[in-house]
Amino acid sequence: MATGQNVIEDFGHVSRTVGTVFRYLLLAATLFGIVALVILLIYVANDAIQPLTADPRWHLTFFLTLVLPTLAVGGYLLRTDPASFRFGASVVGLLAVSTMFGGGAAMIFVDIVPPVVWFGYVLALVVALAGVVGIERFDRRLPFLARFAGAGAVIVGSLLLVPGLVQGLPVYPTDGIMLTLSLGAPVALVVGRYAAAEAGRRGTLLAVLVGVVAVGAGEVLGPMLAIGAVPATVLLSIAVVPTAGYAAGVVRRNADVRPGLGFVAVVLGGALVGAVVVDALGFAGPQSWVDWQFLTSAHSGTAADAGLYPAIGGSILLMVTVAALSFPLGVGAAVYLEEYAPNNRFTRFIDVNISNLAGVPSVVYGLLGLGVFVTYLGQPTGTVLIGGATLALLILPIVIISSREALRSVPDEMRQASYGMGATRWQTIRNVVLPRAFPGILTGTILALGRAIGETAPLIMIGAPNVLFSLPTELSSKVSAMPLQVYAWASLFASEPFYQAAVPAGVVVLLIVLLSMNSVAIVLRNKYQNQQ
Amino acid sequence: MSTDDLRRDLTRRTENSPQELLTRSFFFLCAVLSIVTTISIILMLTTEAAKFFSFTAPLMGIEGPTASVVDFLTGTEWIINNEQFGVLPLVSATLAITIGSAVVAIPLGVATAIYLSEYASPRAQQVLKPALEVLAGVPTVVYGFFAVVYITPALRTVVPGLGTFNMLSASIVVGIMIIPMVASISEDAMSAVPDSLRQAGYGMGATKFDVSVGIVVPASLSGIFSSFILALSRAIGETMAVTVAAGSQANLLNPLNPASYLEGALPMTAAMVNLLTGDITGGGVAYRSLFAIGLTLFIITLIMNVISDFVAQRYREEY
Repeated sequence: MATGQNVIEDFGHVSRTVGTVFRYLLLAATLFGIVALVILLIYVANDAIQPLTADPRWHLTFFLTLVLPTLAVGGYLLRTDPASFRFGASVVGLLAVSTMFGGGAAMIFVDIVPPVVWFGYVLALVVALAGVVGIERFDRRLPFLARFAGAGAVIVGSLLLVPGLVQGLPVYPTDGIMLTLSLGAPVALVVGRYAAAEAGRRGTLLAVLVGVVAVGAGEVLGPMLAIGAVPATVLLSIAVVPTAGYAAGVVRRNADVRPGLGFVAVVLGGALVGAVVVDALGFAGPQSWVDWQFLTSAHSGTAADAGLYPAIGGSILLMVTVAALSFPLGVGAAVYLEEYAPNNRFTRFIDVNISNLAGVPSVVYGLLGLGVFVTYLGQPTGTVLIGGATLALLILPIVIISSREALRSVPDEMRQASYGMGATRWQTIRNVVLPRAFPGILTGTILALGRAIGETAPLIMIGAPNVLFSLPTELSSKVSAMPLQVYAWASLFASEPFYQAAVPAGVVVLLIVLLSMNSVAIVLRNKYQNQQ
Repeated sequence: MSTDDLRRDLTRRTENSPQELLTRSFFFLCAVLSIVTTISIILMLTTEAAKFFSFTAPLMGIEGPTASVVDFLTGTEWIINNEQFGVLPLVSATLAITIGSAVVAIPLGVATAIYLSEYASPRAQQVLKPALEVLAGVPTVVYGFFAVVYITPALRTVVPGLGTFNMLSASIVVGIMIIPMVASISEDAMSAVPDSLRQAGYGMGATKFDVSVGIVVPASLSGIFSSFILALSRAIGETMAVTVAAGSQANLLNPLNPASYLEGALPMTAAMVNLLTGDITGGGVAYRSLFAIGLTLFIITLIMNVISDFVAQRYREEY
């Protein structure tokens, strides 16, 4: 080629300044939103908890007993043995999150479902299961229809008869014992099997028994700690036993991470010692608005006495309803679209329709609930059922989209192998595709539920009351929710005392619940991605 | 597709057994539910809105006060007690929120996307992405409270004369809320740009800055643009933050005039919430105006979603 015509002598001066400035500008932009949110969170936490009102010696005590040892041990472990640190931190995190949800569950057993009713239904399920197994074992040569009808009759009969029978008994065991049998025993069964690892039948049995006995201790511990037998039993079976079982199971499988237990001991021991010292020496803690009174009392005209209890209970019930409705429907739609749907115009229409539904504003869903459930179906306004149904419709597109992603990540070879073994489509989906996609589906559903928990507008649209003084006890009773209560305080009762006390406290409780749900989802997702 | 053929061959015999039919129809019904939802939204909004407007109300057998379509679309007064239903003040407030939040979210969101896709180490990505997700996960009513109690007083030190309820702080929180949406969709588009294009740039002696701004951003422009539209449609439909922070005075304001952000206004979504928290009788004309605004809102967001989809599909560079 022609040389000497357009020879570039050199590249000239390439400046680094532009690139460097650009890079840091980008970083600053990325951090802007996060930092702004963190600052706002610090402000609201300060308003709600008021750490500066505490005795300095209170801070000093906890600094010495809890913060300093935790930092020292944690830092040491992180440098020398990161796996153990991660294990220890996850045990502490699991304990914290499960205690929170255990508190919510305790609320249900104290105020919504009496333990005896729960016990009756669990017993009915056990009887039904035993009946079905019995029919199957009795004679396999019975025609399919006869077995089907028999099983149906056993299930319906036991669900109709047993709960009434149990409640009609002249004497029944104490609440703690009933909960231990009906809630603690199933939990202990699952946890014990995990904890025992490959210890064989006897080891597993022993682990399960230890779990049941530990839950049963709530009957004695509860009254001693002045929280009552029922909450103590529920907390033990939902928080303490699963966490202990998880820790035991991990250590049995991989003894190298045992130092992580030291970290757990330092955190828990430090908190306990700090609390005892503070109590003994009489150092005053912060005058937090988020306190026992706030969590357990209802709305009040004076900000200082206002509480969140009915709203928390309402949010829990709504969450249960939304999950029960949106999970099967969302996963079902995702399975259809990923596994069954032919590639035709109708499928593409559903596809476009779902992505458009995801963009419909939440107020419009509220109008849908108002118009369809209240006006056309004549339901009373603001009940748990229509609130839950409206929120379920709202998050359905999100659940479908994330479930589809999870289903798509299951390799096709696994499906082919299953078909090659002679499995039918449903067998392939049930045994191969769904188990493999389950963590992804669960992550997406938890995130979507988090969205539903934070929604206010649809609840206002369907006429949920702004102020509610008692927990909703059934699906057809009026419901309030945490964000709705916060809105009512911030807007309808807008005044300085509410802005300074009740609203920040409500915001902090709401955010703690949401952030822990988000972090559970993120931890699940990371674990799941690492496995793939 | 070979997998489909394979499957068809292997499962043909069991395809129509009772169990298979039962499960298949259950899954099909779940998928059809989404269409039922859309249809009921549209039907419900249109029938209720039809009862609101005077030229369709007789067809629906409605008597009593109604509003004319022309007054609704061109009226400049929104006073429910006077039965003056002019939607323009509400639309102008919504537009102001949209523009204000776009000013915050678009530069920050695109910068975030460039940083995450081009500069951030995998480790930094692992921390930053969930943190951004949290930004979108905070309930909107909480953002509204932040705007009233913390941001407005802070802004007042810079902008004197800012009302307690104002569009400025409402726009800022809505903008912060939609940053993650702009960022994540734009980042997806940027990550989809093949590495060979970047390497070609580096081979020509381009710096990282040149590659990011001159190659990656233009190559992913359709994705970036569709992220803007989606995020803005989210801002339009945003309810609780603006209800708490923007006030309840239905002023007609000029969204392009910065001074109008100093006062409060009533966006469409906030007007709907206010209608329901005030004392309106079920079935009255005020109640039906709710559905008229809802229909307007639904149509606007639907159009924006469709445009965003269209842009992403039509102008996508295929690599």
